[in-house]
Amino acid sequence: MFRIRRRNFILGGSALLVAGAGRKALAQAATSMTSHEKALYEAAKKENGQLTWYTAQSDDITAQALGRSFESTYPGLKVDVLRTTAQVAYQRITQEIKASSIQCDVFSTTDIGHAVALKAKGDFEKYVPDNSGKVLDVYKNYDPDGYYFVTSAGMIGIGYNTTKVKEADAPKNWTDLLDPKWNNLIALGHPAFSGYVGTWALTMRNQYGWQFFEKLAKNNPRIGRSINDTVTMLNAGESEIAGSGPAGTLLESAQKGNPLAMVYPTDGTVLIIAPSGIMKGCKHPSGARLFMEFLMSEGASRIWVEHFNETIRPEVSAPKGAKSAKDVKTIHPTVEQITKGIPEIIKQWRETFGV
Amino acid sequence: MARDVWRIGPHGQNSVTDDSLGARAANFAGVAARLRRLDATMLVLLVFIAVLAFLVLNPILRLIVSSLQETDTGRFTLDNYRAAYGSLRHLEALANSLELGVGVSLLVTCFAVPIAWAVSRTDMPGKAFVRLTVFAAFVTPPYLGAIGWILLAGPNSGWLNKVWMALTGATHGIFNVYSMTGLILVIAVTSFPYTFVFTSSALDLVSSEMEDAANILGARTLRTTLRVTLPLVMPAIIGGIIISFLEAIALFGAPALIALPARFNVVSTQLWQFFEYPVRVEEAAAFAMPLLVITVLMFWLQRRILGRRGYTSVTGKGGERRMIALGPWRWVMLAYALVVGALSVFLPMLVLFQAAFSKAWGRGFSFDNLTLHNFYYLLFEQTQAKQTILNTFVYAAVTAFAAISLSLAIAYVVNRKLVPWSNVLAFLCMAPFVIPGVVLAIGFYAAYASPPLALYGTATILILGFTTRFLPIAYTSSAAGLRSINPEMEEAVRILGGSRFLAIRKVLIPLLKKSLAGAWILVFIPATRELSSAIFLVGPHTRVISVMLFDLSEEGNFEVLAALGVILLLATVAIAVIGTKIIGRDFMLRRNS
Repeated sequence: MFRIRRRNFILGGSALLVAGAGRKALAQAATSMTSHEKALYEAAKKENGQLTWYTAQSDDITAQALGRSFESTYPGLKVDVLRTTAQVAYQRITQEIKASSIQCDVFSTTDIGHAVALKAKGDFEKYVPDNSGKVLDVYKNYDPDGYYFVTSAGMIGIGYNTTKVKEADAPKNWTDLLDPKWNNLIALGHPAFSGYVGTWALTMRNQYGWQFFEKLAKNNPRIGRSINDTVTMLNAGESEIAGSGPAGTLLESAQKGNPLAMVYPTDGTVLIIAPSGIMKGCKHPSGARLFMEFLMSEGASRIWVEHFNETIRPEVSAPKGAKSAKDVKTIHPTVEQITKGIPEIIKQWRETFGV
Repeated sequence: MARDVWRIGPHGQNSVTDDSLGARAANFAGVAARLRRLDATMLVLLVFIAVLAFLVLNPILRLIVSSLQETDTGRFTLDNYRAAYGSLRHLEALANSLELGVGVSLLVTCFAVPIAWAVSRTDMPGKAFVRLTVFAAFVTPPYLGAIGWILLAGPNSGWLNKVWMALTGATHGIFNVYSMTGLILVIAVTSFPYTFVFTSSALDLVSSEMEDAANILGARTLRTTLRVTLPLVMPAIIGGIIISFLEAIALFGAPALIALPARFNVVSTQLWQFFEYPVRVEEAAAFAMPLLVITVLMFWLQRRILGRRGYTSVTGKGGERRMIALGPWRWVMLAYALVVGALSVFLPMLVLFQAAFSKAWGRGFSFDNLTLHNFYYLLFEQTQAKQTILNTFVYAAVTAFAAISLSLAIAYVVNRKLVPWSNVLAFLCMAPFVIPGVVLAIGFYAAYASPPLALYGTATILILGFTTRFLPIAYTSSAAGLRSINPEMEEAVRILGGSRFLAIRKVLIPLLKKSLAGAWILVFIPATRELSSAIFLVGPHTRVISVMLFDLSEEGNFEVLAALGVILLLATVAIAVIGTKIIGRDFMLRRNS
């Protein structure tokens, strides 16, 4: 009953390798490490090899794939992957800070305002990964002081269910969502949960003012929590249009055979820049540093691309059939706008949509 | 056991009324004498009392105190109350919760009471099957029922709506789970077993004599039932109404899944919002106060209503009990029971299992849609699922042991009147029952998460929280069991020179073995699925299935969610069945003793 999945195949393959020419393969992996990496790896093993990663930067499937890749690159280390929406992850981390009991080692959010706030309050540990100089120029130097770094990027467009909506009828730009013909048929995430949705809503407010949402509310959209929930709603046939459609999740789901298509709006696709940082006082500082290196490595970018997200490394090219951020017109708010704007957005959203 | 739930502690009936002042004074003098001896037993008992203060009293006090404190300085203030009630949306959430509670408790009564009557008093066929269905509804967590109903009654994609559209050619479905009605239904179908158990165990005690009297005087079955039988078990029914009301207003999972897309807030989802950044524990505490007040009010009201009347036919003394012959109506009753069963178990379980074994649930029932990958993903690809599943059952088991040991010790102290004011202990044991799980968790977080104890993210804080939460269930079971045992047997041991410990170990425990095992399962099952209090107390390594389900549900990944739900249900049922086999009786649906 199993389809042979690429991942299982690779897993099985590497198991064979380890079983057969195991020592040699491991030795090779070890030699390809830089001395800095090796030192971190040895130190991480001494911290009982455990690591906890809170991430909102992808769906659970991609996050788990990244976690497993880290584990197979650095045998003996184990990473606990906790995927939630950005605001839930932030809620947990602030609860931990308040209780002075830091459980998380690496914190990856999609709301860059979180990183700004955590740095400002001294909750991030400074660490400049070697790999941070090797990423694409557009993702470099978001924090010149070295407390957080961009570890992933993604795009938000409009998704639709191809069995219910013809290509010609699908929305072409953001304001097409306000057409009354989409009454009851649009799925959205929630900015109080999803960092992607928060940044998307802020971009919309920048472009069209808050009236955009007051009009959108008249179309009675279905509001979930995570931005990925919109894709589920399309697959289930509950909604026909993903008003905030995450490119990665959408295209991966389409590749699996679901009747989905992606529109890159003519007035601009929303680009999300998502940062990660190490928690100050975390239990596994060396493992956390190694993990930061990993997140900015070529290997991690390959996994991101396999799951239809952006690559942050120049060596890795965009997924086949998907557009990369440099191929389309993108729009995004500044870091200052996000830091100040998302709390306002959440408030306005609650007033307009009632939840 | 169930009969005591609607009275806070055993002092309602026995202890207060029959203690005259003189007896109390004598008792007190005796206690003083005993205190002077202060043997090892007493020390152990005092430790238990301290534990109770730690588990119950301190978190509640901390909650009340922090609701009156400024966030940073800790100075006295009423600002938290102003902030918590100064917003129209917050007040609406409060009103929504009240509507939800009333709706659920009425619907639950309509579901549970007729079925309980049919099972306990009539010749309805298929009783064993109906009981089994109720049991299945009991083990289904409300959030899992909610997911089942989202798959059934999603406005465009739900199975029921698809069937409706296929049959009638309509372009829109007729059911919408994302509504207050939907939420009421979802919670009612998973919480009616409580009322069922209360009512049926009370009905099991009513002898046929009074019904016979009514019959002789010319009343038909319906009239007799409505005028004689049901009024006699009114305390049980009202107990059920109160419990389902409290359950409904305190639940977090089902409202989070349904109320958000339905665009309304209830108190529990609003409390969750106070924990968003910036975390406002103090405001949350202030907003939680009405739940406490409502609960206290309901129990006071119950006493007012029931207090002065006699329900003495419920004595537990024999009397003949015959089943009422319903004639053809027995099939009507069975049909009704099956309809409720369909709403609560058959339909949701069908779609949950379908989703768990399918690649995409929307594609429906076909062989090429069949897969085991969702289970494979959970057990082999997800880094957390295995640990989470293990955590869930270990914590539930430890909780059950802890709650029962503690409650047995306290029930013993109370029942044998070993310390003065023992009724206060009984009250403290029952108090968590009236505290919504979310509120309890906030109290625990405020009291024990930070240093000096620094329990945040540990298994300890979860187990302590669960133990407190389910202490009332454990206590009612232990107290009921103890009351059935005559102290003379222990006294014999003591007269012959044995210590109290010896008496407890060699006499009491063996006699209580079965009812304690039953109580263990009664605590274990709700502990495996507890979400409301877990959500604020888990750390990354102490996650339990319910919290993981909640996190996964953000993305709406129903196939994996359903698979995890199936694992939870099957494991819980397996443990309950093994437990039932060991104790050799139905732990939930018959009375103790």
